[in-house]
Amino acid sequence: MTARAIEDWQVTAPEGAASEVLALAPPDLDSVARVLEWASLEGRPVIPWGGGTHMGPPTGAPPEILLLTSELNRVVDYQPDDLTLVVEAGALVTDVEALLAERRQSAVLAEHAAGSTIGGMIASGVSGYRRLRYGPTRERILEVTVATGDGRVITAGGRVVKNVTGYDIPRLMSGSQGALGVIGQVCLKLWPVPEASASLSMEVAAFRSLYRPLALLETERGATAYLAGTAEEVAGQAQAVGAEARAGLDWPEPLTQSTQIELRVPAPLVAAAVEQVRAADAESFRAQHRVGVVAAGFAEWSDDRLAALRSWAEGQGGAAVVAAASKQDVDRWGAPPASVELQRRVKEAFDPRRILVPGRLPGGV
Amino acid sequence: MSFAADLRAVLADDQVLDHPLDLHVYAKDAGVTPGIVAAVVFPESSEQVAAAVKIAAKHEVPIVARGAGTGLSGGAVPTRPGLIVALTRLNQIEEVDEAARTAWVGPGVINLDLSAHTMPLGLHYAPDPSSQSACTIGGNVGTNAGGPHCLAEGTTVSHILALELITAEGEIVMLGGAEPDPLGLDLVGVVVGSEGTMGLVTRILVKLTENPPEVRTLLLAFDSIEAAAAAVSAVIAAGVVPAAMELMDQPMIEAVENFKSCGFPITAAVLIAEVAGHPAAVDSEAAVVAQAGRDAGATEIRIAATEIERDLIWLGRKSAFGAVAYAAPDYYLHDTVVPRTRLVETMSAIYEIGARHGIQMLNVFHAGDGNLHPLVAFDAKEPGMLERVKAAADEMVRVSIGVGGALSGEHGVGLEKRDLMGEVFSPMDLDAQARLREAFDPKGLLNPDKILPEGSRCYDFGLVANLEPDSLK
Ligand SMILES: Cc1cc2nc3c(=O)[nH]c(=O)nc-3n(C[C@H](O)[C@H](O)[C@H](O)COP(=O)(O)OP(=O)(O)OC[C@H]3O[C@@H](n4cnc5c(N)ncnc54)[C@H](O)[C@@H]3O)c2cc1C
Repeated sequence: MTARAIEDWQVTAPEGAASEVLALAPPDLDSVARVLEWASLEGRPVIPWGGGTHMGPPTGAPPEILLLTSELNRVVDYQPDDLTLVVEAGALVTDVEALLAERRQSAVLAEHAAGSTIGGMIASGVSGYRRLRYGPTRERILEVTVATGDGRVITAGGRVVKNVTGYDIPRLMSGSQGALGVIGQVCLKLWPVPEASASLSMEVAAFRSLYRPLALLETERGATAYLAGTAEEVAGQAQAVGAEARAGLDWPEPLTQSTQIELRVPAPLVAAAVEQVRAADAESFRAQHRVGVVAAGFAEWSDDRLAALRSWAEGQGGAAVVAAASKQDVDRWGAPPASVELQRRVKEAFDPRRILVPGRLPGGV
Repeated sequence: MSFAADLRAVLADDQVLDHPLDLHVYAKDAGVTPGIVAAVVFPESSEQVAAAVKIAAKHEVPIVARGAGTGLSGGAVPTRPGLIVALTRLNQIEEVDEAARTAWVGPGVINLDLSAHTMPLGLHYAPDPSSQSACTIGGNVGTNAGGPHCLAEGTTVSHILALELITAEGEIVMLGGAEPDPLGLDLVGVVVGSEGTMGLVTRILVKLTENPPEVRTLLLAFDSIEAAAAAVSAVIAAGVVPAAMELMDQPMIEAVENFKSCGFPITAAVLIAEVAGHPAAVDSEAAVVAQAGRDAGATEIRIAATEIERDLIWLGRKSAFGAVAYAAPDYYLHDTVVPRTRLVETMSAIYEIGARHGIQMLNVFHAGDGNLHPLVAFDAKEPGMLERVKAAADEMVRVSIGVGGALSGEHGVGLEKRDLMGEVFSPMDLDAQARLREAFDPKGLLNPDKILPEGSRCYDFGLVANLEPDSLK
């Protein structure tokens, strides 16, 4: 790494990042790898940065270097007839989805993705509401090219929809929180967008009678089922449950509270989780029935509330994750997974000097 | 104490085999290459698996997990005198949770038995390899098995929520969980498909799938395999992802008809397509498939009118391998994947290779996801035959890779394709895979010599890796 390269790639730190951090936006993945190699040599903590929309509360060692993927934003290869897309990680999810929508296709990522990058969505492990039908985001990653913590550029997986050639490193990148490497490029599996869709306001109890809905959501304002398929199917299902169908998918707006806690529980416990967040005075919540995720927004931070929700969720074999906090130094994850020692070894296989967001994964990994 | 004596100290007599005649039976899976077995154990609990692993680790004996041994890539075959841990006695369906649509099962549960067990609840276990009446869920986890209905539903990995793993050190650790996004790295996703190289799976939390309310099964006949392949590409391009799309060529259709008589037309190619879902949707989706077939020149289109007709179509598809076993003493089954848009040209190239090597080839495959299974029927006793078959196999793999495909779609790399890994991955890529494996198995005792070619982890790349921590400031 030359001082010249640093100068060329340096940008002002993005909003939400500490201003003293050295923010770099290298022009390609090889350059990203050079920064990582240098950071490994120097032992400087690095944070990969996509759109900065899903960073969560700061956890682990404060980064000295911030690596932006903003220059890696090309669509490399779109094969509509194969339902695959190769795209660089810094591309905006909304741009990618707009391109795919022209062919009535979708990568089925999170519905609210303003400002988010493909790489950020994958690394943060966030899935869309439509995971009930299409599975979580990790199901979509067929191939990845990653710059590892020590600056190796590696590719794994392949550009086909079914593949057992080698270990599933693409899937491992989902939810890796930037701790294994900087994702440079991915191949995503796409889905055709069904011809018709509708949103049905209804009672939670009636969810049971729907076949393969896209999503079953409950918020503080009521419950909605989302359907998609052929026009006859959507109309037929709506009629059968006697609900009025609004054409299209009117997803609830994202939570805006400065404190947000996400409960992750076995799917049958969603109703109980909703009771928990209501009892904890949530201002707003988004419950995904049959999936097991309830995200709740609160007016202010309270240690006791987190402790109570966490103790309940962990008691059910789940977790309470802090997605946003108005306070510093919060325990984002709670009790570490039983496999924490293996997790640490896996991290070190990719990042032997532990410079990538050290301590950011659960259990201080 | 000797290895076998150590094993007998923790396991009952009927749980340990070390007589050469017995060992011989376990020297092969359903692939073509035999291995060397030191002992076989049949543990009946996770603790017994852990104990056996610890003993093998102490004696530095390689450890090879085995389910039903129906694997086709040599995954369950020890390459050096190894301990086979047969997990077939861990065959309990422990707990079915109807509300959560999940079940905890032992790795020895036979795939089809699970679906039969949950049938009264209107649920099934979606991954349905053609070997499903014999293979185990543990083996399916080992290979990330697929099947005809994985086109829409995804392969095994999409249906596994949690695993209990016996690590290389003989520790028992739980990966994943019943919640949708377990905390931390997705190690379940790494272990599924790792062919016993990252640990032995002793309990599995699987997802169960709602039976579809309505199904339409179509059989389309074509006068060329290319026309049938074009129909497959057209269906995907039309925005329909059917539940299944399977293709059979004439030699295979004839073999099946000789074996089971399912009433298939004797023609160049038959495409079996199934759409499943809401009663109001299946007919229009079936119409899309039929139209794509007609546009590609289908000579006949049947839609199963009754359950009996549907079962007969699937019986034909699922007897394919049995039919071949009936017709030829040995067979070699390939498993590559190509982008679906490249099916037509790949099939032409594969036929050309078969013809040039003068081998008898039959095709039945998961066309919907581009997963090819050219099957070569032969007699290994014929001098030079196996070499010819393997040479043709190599060429077919290279053709698939040449159009942007993968080495294996569902059978695994195992021993069979290990040395071809360098055709799709750079030394740096293979090194990364080897490091990941090392994180799980630092001493290299879990199914060594599988998946990664020798030397994948022979040196460290990059400046950083070669520096000792002390030399850093
Ligand atoms: C006629 C026929 C048809 C087939 N059709 C298909 C098909 O449609 N789709 C498909 O995917 N495959 C198919 N196969 C291949 C085979 O059935 C699958 O690979 C199956 O998943 C193997 O299961 P098994 O129980 O026989 O495992 P084995 O062959 O015993 O083992 C397979 C691999 O998994 C490992 N393993 C086994 N159990 C465990 C465990 N508990 N923990 C960790 N590792 C373990 C082994 O070490 C080995 O590497 C077919 C095979 C035949 C013979």
